[in-house]
Amino acid sequence: MIRWDVIQGNLPLIGAKLLEHLALTLVAVVGGLAISGLAVMLIRDRPRIVALVTGFFSVVYTIPSLALLAFLVPLTHLTFLTAEIALVGYTLFILTRNLLAGLASVPRDALEAADGMGYGRTRRLCQVELPLALPLIVAGIRIATVTTIGLVMVTALIGFGGLGQVMLRGYNFRNDTLVLVGFVLTVTLGLIADLGLGWLGRAITPWSRARAG
Amino acid sequence: MSSHRAATVAFDHVTKRYSGTGSGLRGAVEDLCIEVPAGKICVLVGPSGCGKTTSLKMVNRLIEPTSGRILIDGLDAAARDVTELRRSIGYVIQQVGLFPHQTVGENVATVPRLLGWAEDRRRERSDELLTLVGLDPAVQRGRYPSQLSGGERQRVGVARALAADPPLMLMDEPFGAVDPIVRERLQNEFLRLQADLAKTILFVTHDIDEAIKMGDLVAVMEVGGKLAQFGTPDEILANPASDFVARFVGADRGLKRLALTRVEALNLRPAVTARVGDDSSHARQRILTDPFEYLLLVDAGSRPIGWIGRRQVPSSGALTEAMASAMSPLFDRRTTLKDALAMLIDAEVQVGIVVDDRGAVQGLVTADEITAFGRRETFDAGATSG
Repeated sequence: MIRWDVIQGNLPLIGAKLLEHLALTLVAVVGGLAISGLAVMLIRDRPRIVALVTGFFSVVYTIPSLALLAFLVPLTHLTFLTAEIALVGYTLFILTRNLLAGLASVPRDALEAADGMGYGRTRRLCQVELPLALPLIVAGIRIATVTTIGLVMVTALIGFGGLGQVMLRGYNFRNDTLVLVGFVLTVTLGLIADLGLGWLGRAITPWSRARAG
Repeated sequence: MSSHRAATVAFDHVTKRYSGTGSGLRGAVEDLCIEVPAGKICVLVGPSGCGKTTSLKMVNRLIEPTSGRILIDGLDAAARDVTELRRSIGYVIQQVGLFPHQTVGENVATVPRLLGWAEDRRRERSDELLTLVGLDPAVQRGRYPSQLSGGERQRVGVARALAADPPLMLMDEPFGAVDPIVRERLQNEFLRLQADLAKTILFVTHDIDEAIKMGDLVAVMEVGGKLAQFGTPDEILANPASDFVARFVGADRGLKRLALTRVEALNLRPAVTARVGDDSSHARQRILTDPFEYLLLVDAGSRPIGWIGRRQVPSSGALTEAMASAMSPLFDRRTTLKDALAMLIDAEVQVGIVVDDRGAVQGLVTADEITAFGRRETFDAGATSG
């Protein structure tokens, strides 16, 4: 059933689409992180606005991906921007929620001690709050990345889609091998991202594993 | 180790009001005026919501007063740069607030790091302080707070507050989160440290016993943030300024006063003593005229062996150890009157023997004398009168 000659013949295409898949994912997650990070820093002290913004992001999150693309195409056409608006949009809810949860998980007494010992606002954020929020922030990045790797496939419909293109092409030409290659590579990519980010999260938070004894 | 720097602190008509009805009184402070001399521990004590923590936090400006001034070494705290002010004041809180993501060594070196000390100087200082609070730097410096016991965390918290050798320390229920046995040990250790460091310390607690034990001065506050009384622990126990203070210090304030005073403050009753081997008839002669009907048998070094009742002293021959029947509790001059009384209540003879460092008899103390002492207006009169 698997035809190795097809794989061999399409290697340049598969390689290019794998890279595109990675690029789409990376831009989406980094962009999502930048936007949600900025949003959280601006609104975190105003609970009402926080509720409003997270509410909006959660509505975006529930829009079916096909519908969102169909809605965007008339506005931004078949562009990289369209693909990324959709992909970034889906990361915002996850990342914002985890950023807020991470900051909320910082022990109050550690903050009070930091204030009492003369930390400035920025220094407190960078040296106390963000490091302590890291486990939840990294967990959010992990979920967002894995979700995005899956979602990238859908952007094949507007001419992007990374490995989704490989599958689509296999589907159009009744070529099961290409469908399988696209599927297996996507799943593998998701697994690697999941395990890798899990490992990274533990590596940069050694204190969270330290226990008495 | 430390330069003996200490600051004076003065609350000058400090008021903090919170807007809003109902809870507006909680944590408020009304026209607080107290002065703490350099090197003293001043304890702010009162029921929850009395404004004691608010008062403390106004010193390092975590809370800004509504009106009034706080003077540190005569300088208005409000006029100083707030981060510079905070870095110059040691701060210990009940939940300690160690940074979970930093090692013990890094935690202790927090303020030196903020002040920009070089790394090896920070490490040296942090090791020095861990040793000072009774932790082994080699074992503890690389551990994370989650790996420490409650008592160890409190010690690290104190070490961190001392790191930059601040002339003033603020301690908000610093020993409140540990069990009573560990708390007592930490209190004692801290008092020993303070005897050397002689920092000026503002100390908040809701526990009157802790206040009496730790304070050179005690400020009793009541809800509404009013200062109910300010004075030495003894003054507050002897002469509560109001019903509130009397109720707050408790019905056992007489007993608490006894805990503050040591046997050395009493006028000791002389003991009729005789050495092993002394002539019985001579000893019998002396005890016959003494209102207290017992003879205290001592050894060659004047160390007590036991009591011989008047009738048990033979008319002739030498006194022997076998004649002694009952024995009394032994006190030294540093024994507190409360401990002395407790020992006397349990003892078969209601008279305590006070001995010196070599164990030689100095005199006697009775339970009646101790309780009578606890009723006096002030202890000073008792300690100095002939």
